[in-house]
Amino acid sequence: MNAIFAIAGTTLGEAIRRKVLLIIMMVGLTMLILTPAISSLSIRGQHDVLIQMVLGILKITSAILAVTLTVYLLPNEVERRTIYTILSKPVLRSQFLIGKYLGSVGALAIMLVMMTVVLLVAFAIQQSAWSVSQLMPIIQPAFLLLFQMALLAAVAMFFSTFSTPVINFFLTGLVFIFGTLMNPIFETYVTRESSGFMSIVARVAHYVIPNFGSLDISSGATQGGQVMRGGDLVYMTQGMIMALVYIGILLILSVLVFDNKEV
Amino acid sequence: MDGILPHCPKPLEETLDLALAIRTEALTKAYKTRTRRVDVVHKLNLEVEEGEIFGFLGPNGAGKTTTIKMLLSIIYPTSGKAEVLGKEIGNIAIHRKLSYLPEKPYYYEHMTGKEILNFYARLFNLRGDDKDKKIDELLEYVNLANAAGKPISQYSKGMQQRIGLAQSLLNDPQLLFLDEPTAGLDPIAHVEIRDLILRMREQGKTVFISSHELSDVERICDRVAILNTGRVKVQGKLDDLLRGGRVEITAEGVPQDLREKINHDGVIISQHGDRLIIDAADTIPTADFIDAIRAAKGTIVSIIPRRKRLEDLFVETIQSKDDVDGSNG
Repeated sequence: MNAIFAIAGTTLGEAIRRKVLLIIMMVGLTMLILTPAISSLSIRGQHDVLIQMVLGILKITSAILAVTLTVYLLPNEVERRTIYTILSKPVLRSQFLIGKYLGSVGALAIMLVMMTVVLLVAFAIQQSAWSVSQLMPIIQPAFLLLFQMALLAAVAMFFSTFSTPVINFFLTGLVFIFGTLMNPIFETYVTRESSGFMSIVARVAHYVIPNFGSLDISSGATQGGQVMRGGDLVYMTQGMIMALVYIGILLILSVLVFDNKEV
Repeated sequence: MDGILPHCPKPLEETLDLALAIRTEALTKAYKTRTRRVDVVHKLNLEVEEGEIFGFLGPNGAGKTTTIKMLLSIIYPTSGKAEVLGKEIGNIAIHRKLSYLPEKPYYYEHMTGKEILNFYARLFNLRGDDKDKKIDELLEYVNLANAAGKPISQYSKGMQQRIGLAQSLLNDPQLLFLDEPTAGLDPIAHVEIRDLILRMREQGKTVFISSHELSDVERICDRVAILNTGRVKVQGKLDDLLRGGRVEITAEGVPQDLREKINHDGVIISQHGDRLIIDAADTIPTADFIDAIRAAKGTIVSIIPRRKRLEDLFVETIQSKDDVDGSNG
């Protein structure tokens, strides 16, 4: 375990110093701070629009951070030859991979927490909402967003064991888009049409592609001004368990591929 | 060339009692292109004894780094066998007793020298005071104690190489793989690294060096292997490989007609005033020259046997089209 945490710590330390990630985060933070001003122009209920917009920005920024951080994780180690000195030590490839993954998730968590704190402060000032219950529509989705991003990082990590960063970027992006739209796709092709080729494809995709939509409670958070499904602890727990299971499977697959890979 | 005659090692099973740090048997690494298979390393037979400094030489693309990577299980052989410290490669337990310094290593630049050593020490599960003590000792050993708190990004090439050597000594290894350890260093850093390697041998460690710096190899290595196109062309003790070579005879008062008789293939004659210098391959019977000069009333000033330089052997081996080691053909 010491090796895993040593690798994770180094990965985290390096990630939070990467300029490109800091730039992405700063752009995200700027948008989060500016959003209250933009949302005040909306003719809809300002409160709902503001929450939807900031959570959307938080999600997009986090997703870009997760993918940018993870797709280069293994290729950089090989290109800079740091992997050689590490693998020449008594370190299993599985330990190396898991350490890299945990380090990147740690960095993502720090960035997500920083963005959420800024968002909460901006929201509280704009809405004069300082109580926990008033901020919960942001805190809960942001918490689940961390699981979404950890899952997305696992997807990118898996693809990085056998593809180039550019291909990985597109593959991970596709999985994220399909995974986010999983619920409406499943509803269209399976619930409404119980047979047919598309129904079979949708069923297979439903099990193979992680359902990122199940971890997104931002829409429920604003409907009727109160938390709907997001407030359901069972629903959130199920989503988190689903994410952890997928992460476990993806990491096992990554280790299997990486064990046989020549670096 | 007696010292470099081919040898076919015994099967691994028959030699386990020998004190060998590395032993490979027909180790092969092949890659497939669209049209053909390319053997980057072809049926490599190597024996490295414990406690020696072994030079692994060859031109770029000869397969040196590929071989090291196979021995470290960073890449996998296509066929053949290899043992490191008596265990088959792939056994992660042996990695506790070996170390590797890659060519032009990169370290996480945001870390200081001490943090880098701390990171690698944790990979060996070193903890607490023992770890801190070891790190401080190594920083002293490689003369970086004063720069321990500086980020790696501020280190010179020589300092980076020394911190690399320090990380490779954290586990007090029995066997070190050093890939081009002196490449790109200034003369002072060069000498420092070379001295550190010699100190490793004094401590009983086996050092496996891949290098293009033939003068270094000639100075510090006990045995060498020369690799070309993935095949071992020459392998043996450096003293044996470089033994003989040429003889330089200096004489005075040698008549002109005798000079013409001496001048044949393998002999270089140069005239400096009355002094004649005969530079002959040691395969030529130079005793006949000496007798002839004395018989012609000439004077022999000196007879100096010259050891072949490693550079000569290297060039001769690489340019030779013959596959010296038949077992590797």
